[in-house]
Amino acid sequence: MATESIKYLSPDTDNKTETKVFPRPDQHAKGIVNWLTTIDHKKIGIMYGVSALFFLLLGGLEALLIRSQLWSHNMEVLTNREYNQMFTMHGTTMVFLVIMPLSAAFFNFIMPLQIGARDVAFPRMNTLSLWCFIAGGIILNLSWFFTGGSPAIGWFGYAPLTDNRFAEVLGDMGPDFWIFSLQVLGVASLLASFNFITTIINMRAPGMTMMRLPVFTWMTLIVSFLIILAFPAITIALVELMFDRTYDTNFYDFLEGGKPHLWQHLFWIFGHPEVYILILPAMGIVSEIIPVFSRKPLFGYGLIVFSGAIIGFMGFAVWSHHMFTTGMGIVATSAFSILTMLIAIPTGVKIFNWIGTMWGGRIRFETPMLFALGFITMFMVGGFTGIMHSSVPIDAQHQDSYFVVAHFHYVLIGGALFGLFAGFYFWIPKLTGKMLNEKLGKFVFTLMFIGFNLTFFPMHYLGMIGQPRRTHSYNEGHGFETWNQIATIGAFILGIGIAIGIYQFITAAFNKKLKSAGKNPWDARTLEWTLSSPVKEYNFARTPIIKSRDQAWENSYGPKENHSEKEPLGDHGVHMPDRSWCPLITSIGLFIFVLGLLFRESIEVSGSYFATPYEVAIGGCSVFVLGIILWALEGPAGYHLFPKENEE
Amino acid sequence: MNKEIIKFFKFSKGTILTSIICWFFIFLGGCSRIDHKQSALDPKGLVSQNQYDIFMLSVWITIFLFCAVGGCLLFVLWKYRAKSPEEAMEVPPQSHGNSKIEAFLIVASTVILIILAIPTLQGVVLMNRVPDPNDSETLNKLNLDKSSIEDAITVNVTGKRFFWVFEYPQFGIVTANELVFPASKAIRVNLRTEDVIHSFWLPKLAGKMDLMPGQENFLWFIADQEKILSKMDSDGNPIKSSIEDAMPPVFNGKMREKIFAKQKFTDEFEAVGGLFYGQCAEYCGNSHAYMSFRALAQTDEDFESWVKKYQDAQNPNLQPLEYDPEKEYQSGTVVSFQDDSTGETLTREYTATKSVNKGQAPNLSQAAWKKTHSDDYEIGKKLFSSLQCVQCHAINRTGLGSKGPNLTLFGIRTSLAAGWMRNDEENLSQWLKNSNDVKFGNLMWNGEGVDDSHPLRNLEDDDEKVNQLIAYLLGLK
Repeated sequence: MATESIKYLSPDTDNKTETKVFPRPDQHAKGIVNWLTTIDHKKIGIMYGVSALFFLLLGGLEALLIRSQLWSHNMEVLTNREYNQMFTMHGTTMVFLVIMPLSAAFFNFIMPLQIGARDVAFPRMNTLSLWCFIAGGIILNLSWFFTGGSPAIGWFGYAPLTDNRFAEVLGDMGPDFWIFSLQVLGVASLLASFNFITTIINMRAPGMTMMRLPVFTWMTLIVSFLIILAFPAITIALVELMFDRTYDTNFYDFLEGGKPHLWQHLFWIFGHPEVYILILPAMGIVSEIIPVFSRKPLFGYGLIVFSGAIIGFMGFAVWSHHMFTTGMGIVATSAFSILTMLIAIPTGVKIFNWIGTMWGGRIRFETPMLFALGFITMFMVGGFTGIMHSSVPIDAQHQDSYFVVAHFHYVLIGGALFGLFAGFYFWIPKLTGKMLNEKLGKFVFTLMFIGFNLTFFPMHYLGMIGQPRRTHSYNEGHGFETWNQIATIGAFILGIGIAIGIYQFITAAFNKKLKSAGKNPWDARTLEWTLSSPVKEYNFARTPIIKSRDQAWENSYGPKENHSEKEPLGDHGVHMPDRSWCPLITSIGLFIFVLGLLFRESIEVSGSYFATPYEVAIGGCSVFVLGIILWALEGPAGYHLFPKENEE
Repeated sequence: MNKEIIKFFKFSKGTILTSIICWFFIFLGGCSRIDHKQSALDPKGLVSQNQYDIFMLSVWITIFLFCAVGGCLLFVLWKYRAKSPEEAMEVPPQSHGNSKIEAFLIVASTVILIILAIPTLQGVVLMNRVPDPNDSETLNKLNLDKSSIEDAITVNVTGKRFFWVFEYPQFGIVTANELVFPASKAIRVNLRTEDVIHSFWLPKLAGKMDLMPGQENFLWFIADQEKILSKMDSDGNPIKSSIEDAMPPVFNGKMREKIFAKQKFTDEFEAVGGLFYGQCAEYCGNSHAYMSFRALAQTDEDFESWVKKYQDAQNPNLQPLEYDPEKEYQSGTVVSFQDDSTGETLTREYTATKSVNKGQAPNLSQAAWKKTHSDDYEIGKKLFSSLQCVQCHAINRTGLGSKGPNLTLFGIRTSLAAGWMRNDEENLSQWLKNSNDVKFGNLMWNGEGVDDSHPLRNLEDDDEKVNQLIAYLLGLK
């Protein structure tokens, strides 16, 4: 090893290191222990990415089943309940287990590198966030195996359909799994967001002022704020729903005086910012890629950052446009209609600025750029149909029709997923140190672009000629067949494209034939490209002193005074925190606790009584609390690394 | 490297071109004929026309924007592409933005949004408020008659999983799944639900509005008779049909006959202009997809006749009385009388063929009385009670609280099972024998208290009973 390391012997933490309350694997841990106990933001980012790609395949499979069922009229690939479970699980999976964690993967991996930090502010909390996300994903998908199967309530879970009173299977547990998995996923998102905010505010390298932050990091910051402000709404909504289901309270039960409207307001106060939580990271990625492949700085950096913030802020003021048909009256619908139109302006500004960036540049059409351009065009279509929906009279026809399905898939696949794939093709060379195969990448883009448009463009038309959403079947004689068949074929092409893409990303780490990437293969502009690929565990051997906005670019092409400098390495070298089991233990405790809360009947193991749900819940809660106590006692501890002078 | 970059470029150009061509054909192919049965692109009423107009305005605005911004993007990609690897390594001038251009674009987008916002706000008011009949200015603008607003018909819609109850409070009648309405009058629709959220979507007439539990929502529509009469032929050319063809009377079964005769159920386009298709648009449970309905446009006279017929059918005072030997009966009077003419003892109906004297009890040999209905009808009627159908379905009464759809005058209805199939003998037989096969999870098969011992679930092999039930149900006209 090029790097020497010694035990961390700082006097103030010395004692804690010695009195080991819980054994901690040392820095050289290998194999599964390496991954289970890591607190390195890069490894956490990778695990976020890999699990999210797995869920992408799962959600995609559900989507293909949905599309197969709609191939023709009165198909029987799925029963109606199975179909309803599929679209519920597809929606929930894609929103909470795919797009959000994929964004989180990039936040984790890229953001600290972009601001010149060695890790996030709270590395162990970061690990806990990862395990909570995985626990939430498992809880949601465990529902397949219990009474009633998966939830069949839609990803929006509109009351009173979620009430026990209207359950179509006796003792249906699906909604309970859904409630608790969303709560656990909420914990994961909140932990990560507080962490990112603290990191970005406090851990920027010297000279990295806020207006020198790369746009992707800005979007991380904005999205993190959106998450911490939006999730409380759905947390409250879900707690109330849980009380309604478990203790017969009357928050949403209209027969006892509850208000189904309340659920919709709470859900969409979360749900609309959620849309921006899903799309802003992709916008951030695209704002990084377009300057690199045009060899020009971002056009109107300030305006792009500002409009991102405005979108985030206004995202909280437009939720009721999801509820134009619920009878809110003239004043409220008009107000939300106008506010929704206004939000198109900052969104349009971004598109203008991306084109402005390319203007006068030297544009290279490599895979990340193709995905970024795909993002711009597809997001434009999704944005335009969004403007249509902001008009209440138009929405009166579009709402809950396939037109809406087309709209949000243009935003979330053509937008978010294309943006995230652009990010993969852009940053994987930094992650693995090897270039991805360009030809295969372009092939994936072509398949995805064609498949995507074939699938979703006809849905605009299907919606206009009257096909409603969330229907497992349609009748003969409406003329829906042809277009649904085109859509289904397109969905399979899109699915193949995505699968090849995922194969390419996963094998990138093992494929020996790939070319070496070097530090900066794209001649990119931001700080992470000054580091070696793959990035060392301590990120920056010496903290950089930032002199300008596009630091990597300025170092190569800028005037001398814009070149970054490096802080000298102190006597202590680089302080690295120790690995820890505590986040994993804490999240396992939470997982058991939640399962205990979920079940209503005693658990039996091979026919004999094992435990009541309350006992399981108390047990899980004890593990959870124990994990936190151990965590507090063990402290960060750590060790020192001494990178050589010339190492990056 | 040189070749590669050029190849990259060609690849993307090809992709973009292909996709543009694809879109063009999809768009063109889709637009050749847009008057599908449930199409929002074929508005037949004032409100839906307004929604359509605003939609088309937004379509043109966005096509303009897409061409402008997309064209700009294509131009930039073409003009500033790196033509060689050397050029790809050049450093162009590093400009950081231009606040004048940005300000101009923001103002331009605002102006475009205002163009859309004005008709939007007008449309919101139109959708939510029936115009004041005394506000002649507005009525003129909308080209409405004062009387069409003043004599508006109110319909209380109740959504249930998975069918629709239509109550006409002005007339005291209740029907299900088929909304009959006069084409010349405004229809105020009050929307309620007894279980979960549903949404009333009638694309060609009204757009949609949700049925929220614990709340009464509202929408209104008025059909446009001219538009109902104009339709397209098989080549998509507009032609005009007559009132008899487009709006045949419902009350005497002409509508049903015409629809059945004019086209197959599987045809994509509706031949009878007065028939409209609607659908529940908010996910409401397992069988949400099956929760559709129909709306039938009528002339004023035909609508009045339909109301009269319905009122008579649901008027408890007009039901046939039991035969009284102490009374004389005029020709045409219907009485109920218990005998064993069907092979078993049951109460059936007889019609007097001429004036009947006291004590001249219904007796077919005397030719003074004839059977009002066939034997199958009478047995079917009894089966309707004995097989417990009557516990959920109201016939010849309003039965507002009943669990299932009201079946009064079922024989003149055009559709069956909440608009899912055509109401003919074959379909009805299939439905009665195993409704779960037709609409999995339907309330009739799966409702509270229905299990495998319920007579309904044992009709599968009993053709005789099914045929008798059909004779009864389709005989209700």
